[in-house]
Amino acid sequence: MPKQKSPRLVSREKRSGKSNRPQKQKGNMFGSKNKSQATPTTEGVQRSSQHTSLRAGFAVMGGRTMGALSRRLHLGGGTSVVGIVAQRLYPDIVGHLAAQLEHGSIIVTGTNGKTTTSGLIAAILSDAGLRVWRNREGSNLMRGVASSLVIRALPNGNLRRSGAAISIFEVDEAVVPQMVATIPPRVAVFTNLFRDQLDRYGEVESVATRWIQAVKALPTDTTLVLNADDPTTAHLGELFTGNVLYFGIDDPALDLQFQRSASERHQVIDTRTCPQCGNDYTYELRFYSHMGHYVCPQCGHTRPPADVRVTKVLSDDFDRLRIHVVSANQEGDIVIPLPGLYNIYNALAAITTSQVLNVDWEPIVTGIEQFKPMFGRGERVQIEGRTLRLLLAKNPTGFNEVLRTLFNEETPRHVLFILNDNIADGRDISWIWDVDFERVVKQTTTLVVGGTRALDLALRLKYAGIAQDEMTIVPATPLRAARREKVAHNRISRDAKNMHAGTESMVQEKEVKPNRRYGIVEAINSAVQQTPVGETLFVVPTYTGLLEIHRELEHRGLTPHYWEGRDE
Amino acid sequence: MSMRESNTSGLTLTIGHLYPDQLNLYGDRGNILALRQRCRLRGIELRVVGLGVGDALAPDEYDMLFIGGGQDKEQAPVAQDLYDVKGIGLWAAIEDDMPVLAVCGGFQLLAQYYRPAEGADMKGLGVFDAWTIHKGPRVPRCTGNVAISWNGSTLVGFENHGGRTYLGTAKPLGKVLKGYGNNAEDGTEGAIYRHAFGTYMHGSLLPKNPHFADFLIQLALQRKYGANSINSANGVGNWTPEVIVPAGEKQNGATPPEPSQAALFTELTPLDDTLEWEAHAFVLERMGLYTAATTALQTHRSS
Repeated sequence: MPKQKSPRLVSREKRSGKSNRPQKQKGNMFGSKNKSQATPTTEGVQRSSQHTSLRAGFAVMGGRTMGALSRRLHLGGGTSVVGIVAQRLYPDIVGHLAAQLEHGSIIVTGTNGKTTTSGLIAAILSDAGLRVWRNREGSNLMRGVASSLVIRALPNGNLRRSGAAISIFEVDEAVVPQMVATIPPRVAVFTNLFRDQLDRYGEVESVATRWIQAVKALPTDTTLVLNADDPTTAHLGELFTGNVLYFGIDDPALDLQFQRSASERHQVIDTRTCPQCGNDYTYELRFYSHMGHYVCPQCGHTRPPADVRVTKVLSDDFDRLRIHVVSANQEGDIVIPLPGLYNIYNALAAITTSQVLNVDWEPIVTGIEQFKPMFGRGERVQIEGRTLRLLLAKNPTGFNEVLRTLFNEETPRHVLFILNDNIADGRDISWIWDVDFERVVKQTTTLVVGGTRALDLALRLKYAGIAQDEMTIVPATPLRAARREKVAHNRISRDAKNMHAGTESMVQEKEVKPNRRYGIVEAINSAVQQTPVGETLFVVPTYTGLLEIHRELEHRGLTPHYWEGRDE
Repeated sequence: MSMRESNTSGLTLTIGHLYPDQLNLYGDRGNILALRQRCRLRGIELRVVGLGVGDALAPDEYDMLFIGGGQDKEQAPVAQDLYDVKGIGLWAAIEDDMPVLAVCGGFQLLAQYYRPAEGADMKGLGVFDAWTIHKGPRVPRCTGNVAISWNGSTLVGFENHGGRTYLGTAKPLGKVLKGYGNNAEDGTEGAIYRHAFGTYMHGSLLPKNPHFADFLIQLALQRKYGANSINSANGVGNWTPEVIVPAGEKQNGATPPEPSQAALFTELTPLDDTLEWEAHAFVLERMGLYTAATTALQTHRSS
């Protein structure tokens, strides 16, 4: 294993890495980025660039060796460790490899919809004939992006088959400034900004501040793709001197006032004030949360007109949305094979990005219509004669939209909620009190609540008005205190039995609580068993809950290993 | 005395929810849901009135007040409104022993001042003799689960604050068992003045701490309907019994209770809080407080 760690070399490599970063030029077909620089060996810094390749080669091999080891030892997916090790060996590995991509990089960020949006873009671009690389293994921090490049690199530090290639990176909203400094993107897509993991990201405002910082640092030949209906995201366009394209919904029929029981519902709003004067926005149309057609009554600051827009949602049921899309040079109907209003935005973001790259209408349609749901975004798994559908929900607005989608048709559902408070979910689960669980009342045929914080979620549902006997609680672990109590209780009942020779046992049994089960496997079993054969069980987990479910399904041979998912 | 009668007694309480649109960041709405549900189960009607920017606060229209936390950006206009528009009414209510729960940002706004890392101090109402200092972005936020001792039992929640609060003459709500509390230094959490309670605990606080929720409801009921008012409350016991209210305020201070109902109220009907206490014990165990968890379950399970 390479263990070269001379600090002098590192610093030289850093410098040469920077000087090697290519200048971006607009090309013809797909705006092909930098044909002449497909290999980074340019004149001048020959010696240093040899070092660079050597260094990169070490980094690539080191990272991949560790990744293979960790996978073999079942230490995890083995995806992040590849990037961590490679970056440790050569800090500039990401910039070095990304510079070799012929068509450059697209970054996709935002609170909700990152994975689906980048998936849709990837589907469209591969239908358009590009070789698409992604960090789809699910690690959207710097190390995940590094991994996705390193696993496709050769031992000489060059990317395999970098011709006709474009990379799509899904980027955590907090690391956007770092990412754009390392990989100046051709297109930067911002989907939306909602409250999410306040214990990790800090307030919504601090993410917005980072985005502004990132946008100001972007090269002017980057194109920004922004959600016009989200005030914070749209505002970024005003701060950028380069090309900006907006997408949005223009269908008045989607306004909240037409949505069932919307008036009773609590809407979590994370952006309410105008960035220019600080006054509260008013809405001509509001679709959900703060998404809609907003205007500031004080200074007139308003939603920018959308370049790519949905003028009509023709049908909206659980498995498909049929929309009519209009842009300057393209127009037509598209069927999105996914549920929920939020997927209209995801599709629009993908269509808009494709237009930046001059993709024809046909691959846009086929890419979206034949799209397979991503990891935990509505995918379907058959299990013991039942259909399981996984719907990730990790923050209040995301959860509210999942609930809206699930219960919009007023069909009673079989539901399994999983609430975890691991670091990747956010330690704070206070946000569940901002979710409209009131709309779940009387809408579930069977309801199972699992996860590390199952008790908290059960309590939330209780205060929403769901009786305790309408749900099965399957926490991740038993309470130690309850176990101690039980031991004490058993001792007492044993003593009592000894004294009263069995006559007392009936009374004692009444006091013993119904046997509670624990752990994710029991939660799945319980929910599956309660769902009749032939019906659908909807599983709504937080992020690590989704990972656990996937692991369990894999264990049962029901899904492929997600880290083995190869593009191409 | 059993509270069976209270199911038809028509007791009503009104809670003023201050700035529900601006200060709603950390799920603190759960406190309102908990109060409403716990009142409903006992046949008490709890009306919730939102008080936004520009709305006056007439203390005689409310029996309880709640104020949550928000983002710094949204807190500044709220601070101004609280001071200019609602200040006098809020002071009158608090001096007249109205129960007030102020969480996080709300707690900071009810103290003397908030000193940001940069820029001018933000003036608070000064209900609690305490002040908050933000020591800059380099100093880590106080983020995590928190448990405190309160009134012979425990309170659990989740804290997430950048500012450090230091108490002057104000009494703390409780002592930190695990977590940061007001400032991560002196082991205090929250503040008390008369029946106003400031705290950093989200979670939401009241659903997982049903004894504290009931304590607040009880204070409100006793203030409105109770015969001997606060003297019988088994609470923290460190308020001053003397009511200092400007002469003109007194008549408006409280709704006069109807005599028939005044006799009715003594204490709240116990509810089945098994799930509440399990969730409470879970947070304690999450922090390694196993003995406290066992105590919490044992103390409250049987009731």
